[in-house]
Amino acid sequence: MRLIKGPVTAGIISELIAKGGERKECGAHSLFLGQVRNDLSGSRHVRAIEYSAYEEMVIMEAEKISKTVQSEYDDVRALEIIHSKGVVNAGEISLVVLVSAGHTEQATGACAKIVGLVKEKLPIWKKEILEDEPSQPAEE
Amino acid sequence: MEIEVLFFGVLAEFTGIRRKHYSGIQSYSDLMHRICDEFPGIDQFTFNVAVNRVLVTGNPLLKDGDELAVMPPFAGG
Repeated sequence: MRLIKGPVTAGIISELIAKGGERKECGAHSLFLGQVRNDLSGSRHVRAIEYSAYEEMVIMEAEKISKTVQSEYDDVRALEIIHSKGVVNAGEISLVVLVSAGHTEQATGACAKIVGLVKEKLPIWKKEILEDEPSQPAEE
Repeated sequence: MEIEVLFFGVLAEFTGIRRKHYSGIQSYSDLMHRICDEFPGIDQFTFNVAVNRVLVTGNPLLKDGDELAVMPPFAGG
């Protein structure tokens, strides 16, 4: 589990995919990308989301998620979770989950399970920043 | 007891602080009363509590040096 400041860039995602290719025993990689939506709030669109996190607890809970998923999906060989902190603009990626497994069903099932658990279990919060609103300093 | 209290999300915005050290705390209930007295209206928020990074419910037993986090519902992803 990694918390990174700002959006998860295409470069970071590309590195993850390349790393997955080193696991030659895997036949499937399932990749989830969570993107900030420009929802309408009143008469204005969401321009960005500012994420804050209880980082030490995030790491502890992510470890539990990893163990839970790997006990339920025994064909999973590796998993990666990256979540943003600070400001992420609409259209940018704030969450990446990559699961590598021997076969398709385990990779896709485990990936969906992790995404659900990330939203439910990780102490992360979001604050919407609307159009024409200034960004607040990113929380550390 | 000495307790370090952390505030997150909308609760950090409401209180205007991210952490505060409390001294002379007798119990969890005593601490929550102190917080509610100091930040009137905080009890209007729904929040979870973690002690030393573990979610707790009810009236947890605190010990000297504990870190208590007051957290709104999680909203990652």
